[in-house]
Amino acid sequence: MKKTLQMLRLPLLSIVALIALGTAGAWAEGDPDVDAPLAPLPPVPQPPDNLITPEKAELGRLLYFDPKLSGDASLGCGDCHDPKQGWGFNDPICRGYPGVVHWRNCHTVVNTGYLSKLFWQGNSKSLEAQAKTAATGGVSGNGEQDVMEQRLRQTPYYVSEFNRVFGTERPILNDAWQAIATFERAMLTQYDTPLDRYLEGDESALSDEAKLGLELFTGKANCIECHNGPMLSDEKYYNLGVPRPYEWEETGLNTITYRFELYAKGVHEDYYREFKDDLGLYFTTKRPSDMGKFRTQPLRYLAYTAPYMHAGQFYTLEEVIDFYNDGGGENEFTERVGNKSPILKPLNLSDEEKEALVIFLEEISGEEIVMAVPLVPTYEAMPDVAGLNQADAKRIGLEFYLDAQGIE
Amino acid sequence: MKRPDTLLLGRTTTAGVAAVMVGLGLAVFLATGAAAEPWPEIGPLPATDAGDPAAVEMGKRLFFDARISGDGAISCATCHDPTKGYGDGLVLSKAYPGTRGYRNAPTLINARFKASFADVGWGWAGQMGANLNDVMRDQITETVSMNMDMRIMHERMKQDAVYAEMCASIYGGDCSSGKARKALVSFVESLVSIDAPFDTGTMSEAAKRGQALFEGKANCISCHNGPYFSDGKPHNTGVPENMEVFTDPVRHLTYRAVIHSYGVPKMGVWRRDVGYFMVSKDYGDIGKFVTPTLRETVYTAPYMHNGTIATLAEVVAFYDDGGGGDDPLARELQPLNLSRGERSDLVAFLESLSSVTPVTMDPLKIDQKYQPIDDWLNVQN
Repeated sequence: MKKTLQMLRLPLLSIVALIALGTAGAWAEGDPDVDAPLAPLPPVPQPPDNLITPEKAELGRLLYFDPKLSGDASLGCGDCHDPKQGWGFNDPICRGYPGVVHWRNCHTVVNTGYLSKLFWQGNSKSLEAQAKTAATGGVSGNGEQDVMEQRLRQTPYYVSEFNRVFGTERPILNDAWQAIATFERAMLTQYDTPLDRYLEGDESALSDEAKLGLELFTGKANCIECHNGPMLSDEKYYNLGVPRPYEWEETGLNTITYRFELYAKGVHEDYYREFKDDLGLYFTTKRPSDMGKFRTQPLRYLAYTAPYMHAGQFYTLEEVIDFYNDGGGENEFTERVGNKSPILKPLNLSDEEKEALVIFLEEISGEEIVMAVPLVPTYEAMPDVAGLNQADAKRIGLEFYLDAQGIE
Repeated sequence: MKRPDTLLLGRTTTAGVAAVMVGLGLAVFLATGAAAEPWPEIGPLPATDAGDPAAVEMGKRLFFDARISGDGAISCATCHDPTKGYGDGLVLSKAYPGTRGYRNAPTLINARFKASFADVGWGWAGQMGANLNDVMRDQITETVSMNMDMRIMHERMKQDAVYAEMCASIYGGDCSSGKARKALVSFVESLVSIDAPFDTGTMSEAAKRGQALFEGKANCISCHNGPYFSDGKPHNTGVPENMEVFTDPVRHLTYRAVIHSYGVPKMGVWRRDVGYFMVSKDYGDIGKFVTPTLRETVYTAPYMHNGTIATLAEVVAFYDDGGGGDDPLARELQPLNLSRGERSDLVAFLESLSSVTPVTMDPLKIDQKYQPIDDWLNVQN
């Protein structure tokens, strides 16, 4: 039953899910829009120009962990998206490149193959683009593309594997992002979590407390208003009034990065001078009503990815639930432009109800994806240079010119 | 804002006067057809304006501060060490972590006198900007040197109370990458020879005989001319390749990445340093490097663009042999047939071009931590 269902397409699954939930429809009281129902994860979507193959995924696994793809060759994707830290990073604000610190919390990579918008600001539209942006950004990988590409070409294992996978004579950096994205889709996707099993009809997949949590999630607590669909995210943007992270004020290194982002993302000088909080979606749209809005966070794999919110403002799920139970918060932008999401209202949850929500979120996190960090392939000198003599070294590449000039 | 403008004007005027003088000299030479040498005469360095001491001090602080490199691992002084003649004493320079250099780090002493060579850029291959300010930008931002995003750099400076005060009092307003570059230029311009015997008229007899050879039989002056002892032009002298550039995989990939970014064709094919070809893309320029100054060489071993010659005596022997013989494109030099005594006199002359009192300073130690800004929420960024 389960296997068959996984092969089916999303709409049918959604219907099954609706029946399983026993809800009358996707409309909860006071909903401003239609909510996609919760649903099991379908097979991970593949871009037509980057289909999954086992060889490509395996190449991507090595590249994901390979520090050659950063400025000073000291950190790979896996250093900020660490398998031991939920494939994210467990500091409130991500470590970033040596000498700086990042300015937002590191997302988990798990299940991101289903998302159409990546980063808290939703400003990357594919895993391929995200990998490149992260590897080259000043406070993330700080890598320069020419150097990173030459590092791959100086590594015989990559030369042969890129040739096998992509058919190129030498590694092309863009193909590295393709391979990394393939690895993430193929190996960092969860199927078969308790939520998926439950939504497919296995009543025993969730505990009674988690089921109560689910009922609250879709009902009284109205989490589903934004956290809906198979990924439990509508991928829309909201300002919840999450407070400013204290680090920007209290730690010089963080203040630097905060100002750098304001500067680099191109806001008006008045805003650069005055603002003390993360403008979120505004950086993309430059619409004042988008200040402080962030993409709805998917809720899968949550038990492994503390702390929470865009700058890790909350350490525990309990704190997160308390925040929503209080009807969200206030920040610089809720005050300035009055754009706090009207969806947020005090929820009047009892302690038992809050606990049930936490248990639901923990149970649906499923099994941890454990993976050892692989040894990455090493550089080697080009095979022809050993024992190359001066006269030959001087002439290689010049043959046609010397010929044309009649030089002996 | 006034002070740097005044400085800039002063520099331009000096350079302008120098250019006019060179032009006049050439005009006189052409008009009379006299058998005078067609190159600027060697002589003492012109007197220089020491610059605004406050700007020099700010530049000095930046020079020794590793926070102006991307990952905070290296400063300018890592490769231009005041205790090593403002070079690094290595055969091939270190470069940014994760890359390795493929050329020798040149001295910065007297670099201000390179300013008149506007037709060929800076760097061994003339590949960098045509003035010191451009060179600062290149070296700070290029991946293989300091890999610094200038926007992060100025935010780092703004977070450091000392820089914030320096920027405001010297240039006015916030720290910016432009102010950092100006200050670094002021500092580097302060690094000039002090008391080279050649300049102070205290050369030994051997050095004087060496000078006569330099200008005569050995003909060094045909390229090493003017007070800076360089014509500022690229030449191919057949210096052997430093094969470590290719046998060390990280040096090789660094070299390829750089020549690729300069648009050099066949980047993977070369097993030699293509030199000025990086700029001109003229195959005849392959293996040409810009004539280096001969001042302060006592402090800046090893020599040549790739550090392959360890001592001045060996450099002289190299030229005595007519340069390297393996490069089919190196055809400028002829054997000199110098006697052992003549070679030794030439070395004595070269040594007389270095200051008796070393041009050096104690490295500054700068706290690399950043402090929070007082009352951050209520002050302007």
